[in-house]
Amino acid sequence: MTATCERAVERLFFAAAFVSAFVTLFIFGFMVYYGLPLFSGGRFLAILTSHWAPHQGSFGIYPMIVGTLAISLLAMVFAFPLSMGCAILISVVSRGRLSRILRKVVEVMTGIPTVVYGFVGIFLLIPLVRNVFDAGSGMCVLSASLMLAVLVSPTMILFFCDSFDRVPRSYGHAVLALGGTRIQHFLHVTLPCAWPGIIVAVTMALGRAVGDTLIALMLAGNAVQAPDSVFDSARTLTSHIALVFAADNESLEFKAIFACGVSLYLFTTILVLMIRLAARARGKVGQVG
Amino acid sequence: MPPSIPPIIQSSVKIRVSNLSFSYNGREILRDTSVAFPEHAITAIVGPSGSGKSTFLMTLNRLWEELPRCTMSGRVEMLLNGVHQNIYAPDCGMEALRRRVAMVFQMPNPLPMSIFKNVAFPLQLAGEKDKRTIRRRVEETLRDVRLWDEVKDRLAGSALSLSGGQQQRMCMARAMILRPEILLLDEPASSLDQKAAEAIEQLLVRWKHHCTILIVSHYLDQVKRIADNVVELRDGQLRIR
Repeated sequence: MTATCERAVERLFFAAAFVSAFVTLFIFGFMVYYGLPLFSGGRFLAILTSHWAPHQGSFGIYPMIVGTLAISLLAMVFAFPLSMGCAILISVVSRGRLSRILRKVVEVMTGIPTVVYGFVGIFLLIPLVRNVFDAGSGMCVLSASLMLAVLVSPTMILFFCDSFDRVPRSYGHAVLALGGTRIQHFLHVTLPCAWPGIIVAVTMALGRAVGDTLIALMLAGNAVQAPDSVFDSARTLTSHIALVFAADNESLEFKAIFACGVSLYLFTTILVLMIRLAARARGKVGQVG
Repeated sequence: MPPSIPPIIQSSVKIRVSNLSFSYNGREILRDTSVAFPEHAITAIVGPSGSGKSTFLMTLNRLWEELPRCTMSGRVEMLLNGVHQNIYAPDCGMEALRRRVAMVFQMPNPLPMSIFKNVAFPLQLAGEKDKRTIRRRVEETLRDVRLWDEVKDRLAGSALSLSGGQQQRMCMARAMILRPEILLLDEPASSLDQKAAEAIEQLLVRWKHHCTILIVSHYLDQVKRIADNVVELRDGQLRIR
């Protein structure tokens, strides 16, 4: 490759990186600009901590923040062990054909449209939750979290499998030749080596859980209240944006959804940073000694 | 009853291989071959590249079972803890076998952890909890492989930062820390310089007094220097040379 060609390719990659970063910042700036009427005069904090009552002039998004946190974090609580178990089965325990079949099934699952999961939730999960827990209509935080867990799990499983597969094979032979079991190999070598990949997977899955609109919209009941239990109906920030979007686009009600957008943005960024900090701390603790 | 196979020299037989056949991916590597190895001796296994020498070693600690598309038939018996055992019998524990039959690979394969943890790892896998015992055994074994003086001040440092020769001696220390009865070596000095290779040869000569050693080697000089017996693997057959 000539030096000119190499420079051109370098510039192309730089342009791609610049556009990605610019678009991300532009979207943030766009939301802040349109939400400005609500943010001015120190009202941003009030919006984050007050309730939604547009007829009384209150455009607080506190219930939606709590709803988003509850549904997405609970979804991760369900999805993480499920995904880790599946990934261990595919990459560590089973071999050959079974592993290949399972991986294909998971790959297919990543391509299923979210609305299909929503339908399945309405017709199968909601009645189940309603009957088993006697939880009103069944449209609640628990139902949305469970279905969201199923939605984000395939991505997490594939990322986990990929992280496990990237651990050099020679480590496996070394551990097994020393009289270790496969599980010991996994716990003592594979898991510590795959840790960075696991963090990436959790971050991405959490991002998807926080950002998903349809599942919560279809299954959480959309009540504008901060849920007190997993059987309460709740509304997420994304559902709120979708539901309010039909309002007059000059009203404060409409401007409030930009506050939701900014909150979502900050919320996701803070979560990602927290995970990365936790991972760094774990890395320091887990260092060999 | 397995057929009677004469050992290479007239001493106690440590390993007896009978009618061993092995295929990988449909390709026959070992064909109905039988051989016996004496204890407390270094036996070199020689033969052309790709003839299956490494694979043969893996039939002695059952490591081939971790590879896909392999089939094996035949019988492998070993004298372990003073008892003759068929290592493929259903009641023979795989992990227990591998703790008695250690293996060192062609390329040094330190685990991504500290030097201390690497060497102590087999003890940890075997369930040893006492920290003083672990520290004592690690020091003893590192002294045994003549690595202690080089690493005693950086035991907490990554094993990956050692030189190739040091890594291989560390891997040998790791293999020997459980005091195995049989040591399988797959060209352990092939990636090392002459000085490092000589250090490993000296170790093997010392170790054969309390261990039975099988070494795959391409270097005839090395074989002449250290081997008590030589077995050639050619056309799927193991023959005493």
